[in-house]
Amino acid sequence: MYTTFEQFAAGSMLGKTDALPRSNGELLFQRFWESRAFGMAIALSKKGHYEWEDFRQKLIASIAEWERQHRKDDPDWNYYQRWLSALEHMLVESDLLDREELDRRTAQFIGCNSLIQ
Amino acid sequence: MSERFAYTEDREVYNTARAKALESLLIEKGLITSETVDKVLKYFETDMGPFNGAKLVAKAWVDSDFKARLLADTPAAIAEMSFPRGMAGAEGENMECVENTPSVHNLIVCTLCSCYPWPILGLPPYYYKDPSFRARAVREPRAVLKEFGLVLDDSVEVRVWDSSAQIRWFVLPERPLGTEKMTEAELATLVTPESMIGATKAKTPVSV
Repeated sequence: MYTTFEQFAAGSMLGKTDALPRSNGELLFQRFWESRAFGMAIALSKKGHYEWEDFRQKLIASIAEWERQHRKDDPDWNYYQRWLSALEHMLVESDLLDREELDRRTAQFIGCNSLIQ
Repeated sequence: MSERFAYTEDREVYNTARAKALESLLIEKGLITSETVDKVLKYFETDMGPFNGAKLVAKAWVDSDFKARLLADTPAAIAEMSFPRGMAGAEGENMECVENTPSVHNLIVCTLCSCYPWPILGLPPYYYKDPSFRARAVREPRAVLKEFGLVLDDSVEVRVWDSSAQIRWFVLPERPLGTEKMTEAELATLVTPESMIGATKAKTPVSV
């Protein structure tokens, strides 16, 4: 986890392939769950379950909320965590998902030892 | 320190479980299938990405008429290319291209979130989504560019373009010197995503 932009920029310039896009355009996910969250949000909008712009507004709000509560260089920052949170709000608000149901399922997966990839 | 690490690990466990829980519930409800997310990701890996932007830039470098059209009406010029369908899909609409010259350097940023011309640049790199980068790129672009290894002469004007839902900017970098004999396909290999963000210049032939 990078602590400051300076460290990040310098580190990524030193050929850390997980930090910068590769020239052939490979995806930029540091964790498996990030790509799943990304793919779900796109797919559901594409299928018409909500407008992409509505999801974007949720994402902007989610990022703004984090920025209100943290310093900008807080290493706690994770873009896809904001994305995941925005997706949850979007699904609950659109009545596609019930938050208690999601909490229960999450707890089940956390209890499962085979979870960590 | 150990507390911090434990916290980070716990968060990863939680996020992994949360994303799995979401996907499994969506599949059970019939909103997506078990293949949907893989299909979306594959699309971004093979069809949309910085290789498209690199082709646009290389064509503009060798074809001045195309370059003029690209700058005047970017979506129409993109439509001339034989890119895969869906170029106007998620976040791909309303793209505009700005040209770097010896006297003007352009840098794109999104201060609101992370709007980005996905179809031609692929997914945004991590620094583009960093709150510090987004704030500083507007406030002190020269200092930010310096951290990317790009030192600009004081005489060069730096223009920062703030992307939004209405317009996604991308940069037409300067054609590097010593590339007169290169083909369009060879030139495309010099065009990096960073150079189309304006964080760096295009690669030079020796650094390829």
